[in-house]
Amino acid sequence: MNTTTGAYGTGAAPDTAGPPTKSAVRNVQEQMAAWKNIDYTLIPIFSILIGGVTVFLIALTVGDWDYWQDWRDRRYWPLVTPFSLIIPAAIFNYFFWKRFRLPIGATAMILGYMFGVWVSRYMNFHVFANFPMNFVAPSTFIGMGILLDCTLALSRSFFVTGLVGAFLFAIVLYPLNWITMAPFHVPVEYNGYLVTVADLMGYQYIRTAIPEYVRIIEESTLRTFGEAVTPLTAFFAGFVTLLNYYLWVWIGSLLTQNRWLTRLI
Amino acid sequence: MKTIRHIRLDRWGALALALLITLAGPLYSPAAEAHGERAQQASLRMRTMHWFDTDIQPRKIAVNETIRVSGRFMPSKSWPEHIRSVEETAFLNIGVPGPAFVRVDSRVNGVAMIRSTRFHLGETYEYEVVLKGRAPGRYHVHPVISVEGAGPIIGPAFWVEVTGDQKDFQHTITTMTGETINPETYALSTILWWNALWFVIGIAWMAWWFRKLPVIMPRYIKVQDLGDDQANQLITIPDMIVSVLFVGFVMLVIAGGFFWANYKYPITAVLQTGKVEVEPLPMPPQKVEVEVNKATYRIPGRSFQVEMTVTNRGERPVQVGEFSAANIRFINAKMFDIKPQDEHDLVASSGLRVESAPIKPGETRTITIYADDALWETYRLVSLINEPDGRFAALLMFYDDQGTRYLNEIQGPMIPSFG
Ligand SMILES: [Cu+2]
Repeated sequence: MNTTTGAYGTGAAPDTAGPPTKSAVRNVQEQMAAWKNIDYTLIPIFSILIGGVTVFLIALTVGDWDYWQDWRDRRYWPLVTPFSLIIPAAIFNYFFWKRFRLPIGATAMILGYMFGVWVSRYMNFHVFANFPMNFVAPSTFIGMGILLDCTLALSRSFFVTGLVGAFLFAIVLYPLNWITMAPFHVPVEYNGYLVTVADLMGYQYIRTAIPEYVRIIEESTLRTFGEAVTPLTAFFAGFVTLLNYYLWVWIGSLLTQNRWLTRLI
Repeated sequence: MKTIRHIRLDRWGALALALLITLAGPLYSPAAEAHGERAQQASLRMRTMHWFDTDIQPRKIAVNETIRVSGRFMPSKSWPEHIRSVEETAFLNIGVPGPAFVRVDSRVNGVAMIRSTRFHLGETYEYEVVLKGRAPGRYHVHPVISVEGAGPIIGPAFWVEVTGDQKDFQHTITTMTGETINPETYALSTILWWNALWFVIGIAWMAWWFRKLPVIMPRYIKVQDLGDDQANQLITIPDMIVSVLFVGFVMLVIAGGFFWANYKYPITAVLQTGKVEVEPLPMPPQKVEVEVNKATYRIPGRSFQVEMTVTNRGERPVQVGEFSAANIRFINAKMFDIKPQDEHDLVASSGLRVESAPIKPGETRTITIYADDALWETYRLVSLINEPDGRFAALLMFYDDQGTRYLNEIQGPMIPSFG
């Protein structure tokens, strides 16, 4: 079986490269240089491209919930966000594991996303639309990606990664971002109303196209369990995110099958 | 070497392309407001909201100074049934491009309008919005009523000039915990260092796997070689240890951030929502009764004429002083001398022709008024004749000889006349 890959047989460390028998390059050094180039090229491009696509995905699915401080509520934002973000995370988690045994897919995707979304918020929302940067800064998801990737590295199983990693992915969103949200939840008395700093900024910094009623945030209902909104939402978000992870790992497995490639060639 | 140089070139090309897609892609602009005044269907503009007494003072300010947008509006009784009603959910808004101003205060009939409310058809409301200049520029400032499910109803506008420099803009909020904050930069440093910290942690995780290059190709070949089951041995013991360390560290940082935030901001509240209720202005007794007999639009002369039967139940003679439809004011020049205040002020100073004499107390008479002006065409109200439901609605203002105003909404079908 090893005619073309000779020395890469079993258990060798990734850096011990031997001469391939058939190749366009002339020697080991050139082979190594070419492969290093692939690393230099592929990972940044992958990150930025997939990150850019994810910026779109999040804009379409999460949208205003992540654009504005006064939309990050306890009920919808922590549910919609991990549910959407797990889609590219699952696909690339699967792809990098299946093809390279690298548990980096989710983190690489989210790093690219975070780069893209910071550029987008800074340029479009702050510089162009003139909103204060603090009000439109994105939430961070990098910790969530690392937890998903680490679970895969440790368990080597998509089943366990879904059960533990995807669940963690969803439930840490709120505590992970609370440090940047808490200042905006400090109460203010305004014209006889109790509001938060975020609510007041949403009112003061005029959004003509997004009137107040468009905001879809938690409203109390008869079924609300008093104080327990955040943990209950987190638990529910964990559960649906876990299911969505399995779905997209499966779709990812269909998408990354070699036969698409062989058919194309 | 040639191949490698090619690869390198391709790499930068692809990287540039990827960057371009990322940067140009999500060009989402939340401030898509320009001059929507002509865009909506003519009949909808006429039959949703009658804005009147609109004023903005002053028209020229420096950054940090305030303007006051004020006036009155009356939701039309002829509100189209297929449009979501203003009696459900509406918000008093301002049409300016983004936060060029900050809204310091807004009130309807004295009630603070921080949230959405509802307005009743045929009732009169008085509004007042105080805006503080933030970004210098020249703005067409409109009052707007945004109606849930229907969209913005744009009121009359005036040009306002803001001079100075945004750098000088000063704005503070005092919280219930006694802090005075600057919302322009509040908590920004926390947001920045927190995000930077996570970038570093994320890149550290990537760096572990790419600590010795090349990685992608050798691992790809090995996975192919070993097969799916055996390939798991590519994850080494150090890999496992590092993974455990990362899980622990990530959880520790998340918990640390959470508890630090709770320590620093012990008092927080939930985002607030819900509706505000506001009572309409008390209605004065209806002293003038109007019934529309026929409304015709003569296309060649751009002349709108309404024949109507008017009954004066008051004590003094009344005459029509103003006819206002879709924010265009047609003035009876015999009674008032009202000139447009700027180049986009929709006033037809002598646009209203009333040939009949004032209506005496107790008298019932049929009169015809003519509202003629090129503004009919400029503001595309003529397109009413091409619409599926060619009904008009307008606000008629009668005045008695002492200057008291009587408001009447008139509405009905409009018949075009081609000759
Ligand atoms: Cu305008």
